[in-house]
Amino acid sequence: MASIARPALLRQVCNAAPSRRMASTFAGSSLKHPSPLTRRPMQSAFATPGASRVAAFHASGRRPILPPLPQVVDGDVNKPAPVPEPSASHGNYHWTFERLISAGLIPLSIAPFAAGSLNPLMDASLCALIIVHSHIGFTANIIDYFPEKRVPLIRKGSFWLLRAGTVLLGIGMYSFETNDVGITEAIKRVWHA
Amino acid sequence: MASTRALARLATRRTAVPAVWTRSFASVEPASPSRSTISETKTSTVKEPAPQKDAKIKTFHVYRWNPDEPTSKPRMQSYTLDLNKTGPMMLDALIRIKNETDPTLTFRRSCREGICGSCAMNIDGVNTLACLCRIPTDTTKESRIYPLPHTYVVKDLVPDLTNFYKQYRSIKPYLQRDTPPPDGRENRQSKAERKKLDGLYECILCACCSTSCPSYWWNQEEYLGPAVLLQSYRWIADSRDERTAERKDALNNSMSLYRCHTIMNCSRTCPKGLNPGLAIAEIKKSMAFT
Repeated sequence: MASIARPALLRQVCNAAPSRRMASTFAGSSLKHPSPLTRRPMQSAFATPGASRVAAFHASGRRPILPPLPQVVDGDVNKPAPVPEPSASHGNYHWTFERLISAGLIPLSIAPFAAGSLNPLMDASLCALIIVHSHIGFTANIIDYFPEKRVPLIRKGSFWLLRAGTVLLGIGMYSFETNDVGITEAIKRVWHA
Repeated sequence: MASTRALARLATRRTAVPAVWTRSFASVEPASPSRSTISETKTSTVKEPAPQKDAKIKTFHVYRWNPDEPTSKPRMQSYTLDLNKTGPMMLDALIRIKNETDPTLTFRRSCREGICGSCAMNIDGVNTLACLCRIPTDTTKESRIYPLPHTYVVKDLVPDLTNFYKQYRSIKPYLQRDTPPPDGRENRQSKAERKKLDGLYECILCACCSTSCPSYWWNQEEYLGPAVLLQSYRWIADSRDERTAERKDALNNSMSLYRCHTIMNCSRTCPKGLNPGLAIAEIKKSMAFT
C-alpha cells in the first residue's frame, strides 16, 4: 500500500517548491490554492484530464531524454539548407530492397499455414529474410533516435551492437535450422503444445 | 479530402472511449517535458470585461512566453470570452483577446481566410490554421492553444520557421529550364499534365504538417518534412521542369526523403485538405526502380 501511495506523496513534495515560488509571482494562484499541501493531487489530476495526467512517477525531477539545444542557424538565414551528396545505396536502392524483403516475407509467412510446413530451402530463405528485415528495421530505429550530431558515440556503438546481434541471430538461426527442426516446425509444435 | 478529415474528427469526438485513446491526431502532451509550462491552474485568469446575463463564457488556455524574460518559464494563461460577442473562428477569439483584454498576446495573422498560412498553431491538440478552426461551441470544454509543436518559439504563439524556410529554399522551388519554349512565348502544358499539379499547388506552407510529423520532430535538421517534400514533388511532377533528375538526386540519401515512415499525421492535420503523404509516396515510387 505504501508503495502505491508513494508517487502521489512524492509528487506533492515535488510540486510544493515550485508552486510556492509561483504564489509570489501570480496573485490569483495564492487565492485559489492557499497552500500547496491542501491541494488534493490525485483528484485534481483526474478532474482536469491531460493537465497533470502524466504525474511524476519518479522522485527525481523529470528530465527529457534529448532536450533541444539552443537554436543554431546554419550559416545565413537566407542560405538554403545544405543538400547531402546523392547516395543510391542509402537512398532509393536501399528503400526498394527493404520493400522487396518486406513483400517477400508475406508469402513466406503465409505458406506454412497453407502447406503445413516448409521444405528446408524455403525455411532457410524465410530465416534469411527475417534476419535482413529486422536488421534494416533496427537500423532505421538507430538513425531516427540517435542523431549523428547529438550522440555520435551512442549511435556508433548501437550500430556495432546491432551488427553483433544480427551475426549472432544468423548463427543461431543456422544452427537451429541445421541441427534442430527449423522455425516453422518449432512454431507449429509450440502452437499444438 | 476535407470531408473525410471532418468525418474522422467527428468519429473520434463522438465515441465513448476515453480521450486518451481517441487522440489520434498530431498532438502535444500538455505536460511534455520538452515544452513543460506553468499550468493554467497556477496562473491568473483574464476575464471577459463585462459579462452579460445570457453570456456563453468559454475559457481559452493560451501558451505564453516572453523573450524579454528568458529565465521565466512558459506559462498557460487563461482567458474567458463571451462567445456571443466573438466571431466563429479561433482567430476571432485571439484577435478579440488581443484587442479587448490583453494586448501583450502575440500571434501571427494576416489574411483571416486560410490563404496565407500565418496563423498556424496547435489548437486543442491539432495543428491547424486558427482562421479555419471553428471555436467549439460547447462552453464546458476549455480550449488550449499552443504554438506549433517542436519549433523554437519567438514569442507566445509565434514559432521560428527559419529552418523550414531554409529547407524549402534548398529544393529550388522554381521552374528550371535550359531550352526556350518552342513557340518563343509560353511553356505549354496539356490538361492532363496540369491536372498532376492539383492537390500540390494549393499548399500554402503553413508548416502544420511538418510540425505534426514525429520523424520531423526527431530529425528536423536533416529530414525535409512533409511540406517541403510536397513542394519538391510539385516541381518533380511539373511537365515544364527540366531538372527532374537533379531534383530526385537531391533527395536520394538516407535522410532527406527516406526518414518518412508513412505515419500520415501530415495528411490528417493539413488544414487545406491536401495529402503530403501521397506526394511523398509518389516520389518514393518514381525513384524506386531508377
